[in-house]
Amino acid sequence: MSNPLKCSVCDAVATVHLTQIVQGKVTKVDFCEACAAKGGAGDAAVFKLADAVNALTPAAAITCPDCGFTDVEFRRRGRLGCPSCWKVFGVALGGLLTKVQHETQHVGRAPAGTLPLGQLRHRLLAAQQEMTAAIAAEDYETAAKLRDEVARIAAQLDTL
Amino acid sequence: MSVQEILADENELTHLLGAQQAVVLSTRVRLARNLEGFPFPGWAKPAHRKEIAERCIEALTKLPRFRKSHVFKMGDLPDLDRAVLVERHLVSKELASGKSGAAVISRDQTCSVMVNEEDHLRIQVVKAGWHLRGTWNIAEQLDDAIGASLGLAFSDELGFLTACPTNVGTGLRASAMVHLPGLCLAGHMEKVTRALSQDGLAVRGWLGEGTEAAGNVFQISNQQTLGLSEDAILRHLGGWVKTLVEQEWNARRKLAQEEGERFVDRLARSLGLLRHARLLTSAESMNMLSHLRLACDMGCLPEERRHVVDRLMIEGQPAHVQARQGTELDSDGRDSRRATAVREALRDFPEVGAPTA
Repeated sequence: MSNPLKCSVCDAVATVHLTQIVQGKVTKVDFCEACAAKGGAGDAAVFKLADAVNALTPAAAITCPDCGFTDVEFRRRGRLGCPSCWKVFGVALGGLLTKVQHETQHVGRAPAGTLPLGQLRHRLLAAQQEMTAAIAAEDYETAAKLRDEVARIAAQLDTL
Repeated sequence: MSVQEILADENELTHLLGAQQAVVLSTRVRLARNLEGFPFPGWAKPAHRKEIAERCIEALTKLPRFRKSHVFKMGDLPDLDRAVLVERHLVSKELASGKSGAAVISRDQTCSVMVNEEDHLRIQVVKAGWHLRGTWNIAEQLDDAIGASLGLAFSDELGFLTACPTNVGTGLRASAMVHLPGLCLAGHMEKVTRALSQDGLAVRGWLGEGTEAAGNVFQISNQQTLGLSEDAILRHLGGWVKTLVEQEWNARRKLAQEEGERFVDRLARSLGLLRHARLLTSAESMNMLSHLRLACDMGCLPEERRHVVDRLMIEGQPAHVQARQGTELDSDGRDSRRATAVREALRDFPEVGAPTA
């Protein structure tokens, strides 16, 4: 008897098999029942996650010094071991994040009582874009105000 | 604290008259958070998970929002009680299937925090109807309060650190539970699902990931959590929900106009069937109740009856039926109990009339 297919996420026996054809490119993914239910079979995100996990280079085993988690374990589970793992596996995860999230930089909230770097970066970016748009629209008064705001936020970021 | 109290207590989703709206059943915001210095639940040893649960529950129950809250440890709950919490969307299937998870649920059932699910903390806020900003504001306050008492895992580059790369950054999943009988009847759902998923939104069934869309109810949520601000995520979802609501109304009006008496007949037959059936499966009752909700939205039934329909949709689910009976029932037993509850609730419903909306 041939070996049963393994789940792309967790290595259990796969019972759900998905085939996706995008612009002639055929992608096949296999899931065990639990992972299929969890990811919502047919969901684009599941494909992306499974693809990205598969595409991770089987690098020499990296082990997280804080929790003992390894990159091999990550390929098996698709989940990390502890917050420090993000630092330890950061380089390997870069490509995966671009595939799953399209972005690699947080621009949202920060925990209460800490410095909201992400929010500041986001505001800086937004002000810069608005300034470019204002200049293009020859609205120099608004552009000047936005220039001051950009300088203010940049200075704030520099002092953090 | 018992799950029976959850069932008995009046709350927005099942009882509060006036909280319900056409098309959007509920708005939900979820934030994934983790404690600094502890392995994620899936990798943590039992002793660690226990310590995490204790710390989190202690911190949560001190917050004003969780005064007199329900605290449920999954390992202590019977199967049926855990299934009720899943059907109410208060905990996930994943949390309910493990032994080391816990849930802290606010008295009004608006806020719930799952402890030791895939992440240490999953903060959830849900409100009946479409209230994205209001729901978000509560979640934000809770997040700040939790962050102030527990050290959260965060990096400037990647934001809130989560076990799965699909949640890192904001850890935010915002969703709307929408009732789309018009688009379903018109055969547009496949097109809608495709358009939404191409624009970064997931479309799922009633019970979330991997479930069927019983009763024409769908959950729409954002996929991307990194590289977008919370505000951008909410605006993106909000824009699409607004469009969906408009398209759903267009589809409904078109159907009502084109089908005339046939449209009213379909809704009236569902009321007739629900009022007289002695056995109702969960799928059948969901689909018929979907017609009644449509009738309330369209003015074929009085709008103030809508909350009864919403309550029956929630309470007609298998675990709810059994929990009300106080015992496990076989499928005929469930179908019979469900039919009785529906008959009683609909006894004084008026006749289905012509649409006014």
